Amino acid sequence: MMTQLQRLHFLISYMQQEMKEKGPIPEHFDERFAMFRGLANRRPARPAAGEFIDVQDAFLAEYNAAGITDSDALSPVAAQLYLWQGDITTLRAEAVVNAANPDMLGCFIPNHDCIDNIIHTKAGVELRLECAELMQRQGRKEAVGRAKITSAYNLPAEYILHTVGPYVREGRVTAMKADLLRKCYTSCLSLADENGIRNIAFCSISTGVFGFPKEAAAKIAVDTVRNYLEETGSGLEVIFNVFDEEDLKIYEAHLI
Amino acid sequence: MRKVANYLWVEKNGEEYKLIMTPELQDDIGTVGFVEFTKEKTLKKDDSVLELEGSKTVLDLTAPIGGKIVAVNEKAEDAPELLNSADPDESWVVKLAEVDEAEFNALENA
Repeated sequence: MMTQLQRLHFLISYMQQEMKEKGPIPEHFDERFAMFRGLANRRPARPAAGEFIDVQDAFLAEYNAAGITDSDALSPVAAQLYLWQGDITTLRAEAVVNAANPDMLGCFIPNHDCIDNIIHTKAGVELRLECAELMQRQGRKEAVGRAKITSAYNLPAEYILHTVGPYVREGRVTAMKADLLRKCYTSCLSLADENGIRNIAFCSISTGVFGFPKEAAAKIAVDTVRNYLEETGSGLEVIFNVFDEEDLKIYEAHLI
Repeated sequence: MRKVANYLWVEKNGEEYKLIMTPELQDDIGTVGFVEFTKEKTLKKDDSVLELEGSKTVLDLTAPIGGKIVAVNEKAEDAPELLNSADPDESWVVKLAEVDEAEFNALENA
């Protein structure tokens, strides 16, 4: 059996060959993983050899197994609502929401610190392939405020719901941007219900590189989810996932 | 008479209702680079009318009001930037007929 370091070496060599690139492969795990991630991020949506997928899946299964939080272990803060601080790629919920961009193929910037990047990295290259098929069928870019569902591949979750949030310049939230952010939440919730999903974890859509002010976005998120559950009578359990302390406090203020 | 909903103006001329891009919408989407009109002939309120890609966002424009589509701005398919025009004769989207007048009257005045 290959060690994790050997698996990374294999995966890096494979992708280097594919992209006709050369370069020394670092000795230490963190640097080697970073190199793997960067290559996977840049890799276009195209099928990979069965052996590559096998090694990648074996690597990610072991890599992703560390520090998983089971959604069943969370306590609700209100009926059907949960607040959880942590890395969404370590959460075992039935569905997790990815903040995508209109190309909906994942982040291509090597090692970029965004949710789209880490979700695609840890799910595996199969995710970009499935997204590419969906987008090819659609024939045009993904509009803001919609949602698409894919498998979550190597993540602890089962499904990923991808939605494109509105992009806000200089904190200027127009009525349309606020409406579109609401639409992101309702589209994901409806899609989850259509697929009989039991629980769903939302990241704070649009608040990262898309610049939506955090406070306003959190209020929209909580209000929209509450209204949806009330109006539809859906039994869906909703987890608000926050990453840092600042977000945690903002969501606490709206939820509790 | 002009109303506004879903970021579109709805202009009533006799039996015909013209949907027109508002300046706020134009500002939010930037220069329009691609458009695709709905294939449907009849719209319900909030049905998709036009998919558009602007320099600032990709958007699915929805109908502020139901009705039968009697004309689409076909020129915008070849020259999407027409939708950025301040002239409603260039930046209109579709013309509707068979609109429920009560539904129209209930919209906010522009």
